[in-house]
Amino acid sequence: MKWAKSWYLSDVILLALIGIFFGAIFMGTNYVYDVLTAALSPIGLGGLANELLLGLWCMPGMLAGYMLRLKGSATLGELLAATVEMFFGGQWGIATLISGIVQGFGAELGYIVTRYKHYDWLGLTASAATTTIVTFGWDLARNGYYKLQLWLLILYFVVRFISMFVFGGLLTRLITDMLDRSHVLKSSHSN
Amino acid sequence: MNPSIKLLLLFIIALEISFTTIISLNIALVILATLYLLWRRTSLKTLGWLLIVPLLPAIGLWSTQYINGTGDNAQMAWVLFTRIYAFVFTGATFTLTTDILELADALEQNWHLPAKFAYGVLAAYNLVPKIQHEVKVIRMAGLMRGQTLSFWSPKLYFKAILVSINWSQNLAQAMQSHGFVEDAPRTHYRHVPLRASDWSILVIGIGLLQIGAFAIPWR
Repeated sequence: MKWAKSWYLSDVILLALIGIFFGAIFMGTNYVYDVLTAALSPIGLGGLANELLLGLWCMPGMLAGYMLRLKGSATLGELLAATVEMFFGGQWGIATLISGIVQGFGAELGYIVTRYKHYDWLGLTASAATTTIVTFGWDLARNGYYKLQLWLLILYFVVRFISMFVFGGLLTRLITDMLDRSHVLKSSHSN
Repeated sequence: MNPSIKLLLLFIIALEISFTTIISLNIALVILATLYLLWRRTSLKTLGWLLIVPLLPAIGLWSTQYINGTGDNAQMAWVLFTRIYAFVFTGATFTLTTDILELADALEQNWHLPAKFAYGVLAAYNLVPKIQHEVKVIRMAGLMRGQTLSFWSPKLYFKAILVSINWSQNLAQAMQSHGFVEDAPRTHYRHVPLRASDWSILVIGIGLLQIGAFAIPWR
């Protein structure tokens, strides 16, 4: 496995740790999801809560892709976060794992189409866009979106992209700017 | 049963029911999963919890489809409602009966996952309680300086990543100093067998699922 050789043990641990850290922070957003879902369900817009917060859950993948700059780091970052969450956050079981793969691959695709060269706004925006498209495609089947009325589909898609861009793009950029300024990234991949 | 085969079977089930629209099949899976969980002595409290937790998202999906769906929207609403429960209950047959250590062993021994991935994730997983605590510490440290760090504050994530970088290097170093060598062959203390019976359960399980999805004329 040539691909595996480019990974150090500390990279794997790092991605898993970031996934868990982010997961622990996201736990605090569950109440936002609950309140929104409860408020919006009576008018048939319960899915909006998911659309609004999805960017947050896809952040580990996009950030991992940006931070480690290795092929597969976005996918692996999201997958590891999902694996740990499956055992520890718990109730969604295998569905978490599938979502993790779909979201991770979506984030990865953005770096693939920019040929792993654009660790800037272009790469992040591409990643936000591909994550939106890939996860939305999956939700067409999984959450039965293909049966929804067109205006709602468009609304969900737009909201999801905004969420991806705000959390996966803007917030990730702010975080990585801080990391760049503190010069921790270079040292993290040379042990 | 071999954890990796169990995971594969449940993965296939979850994938397939994402594309089928049969309410009875979803309910049948929930019942089968419940029976299995009872047989594995899962407490009633846990089962009750499994019923309550997905209720809100399930209602959300149900009402979205019922109010804003097209075609036979009531049917689709119930498909999605039961599908969520099928996900949760079939998933629980794995997460409540298997721990991550067994899965990591199986993936490494039976499927030749490089040891650094298996043990690296395990090392991080064991820090979960410490990580939860650390998030509180970071927030508290922020509060002491008059900064409220919320889930949209880049600083919160930045500090979490700094800690992650630090811990990941410490952990990797600790593992290496205890004799862990990346990409070197390993011997195993815990053996995870991959038996013919595991494969039969996988094949039979997938077969039954196809009968449920295509052959039985559910209503």
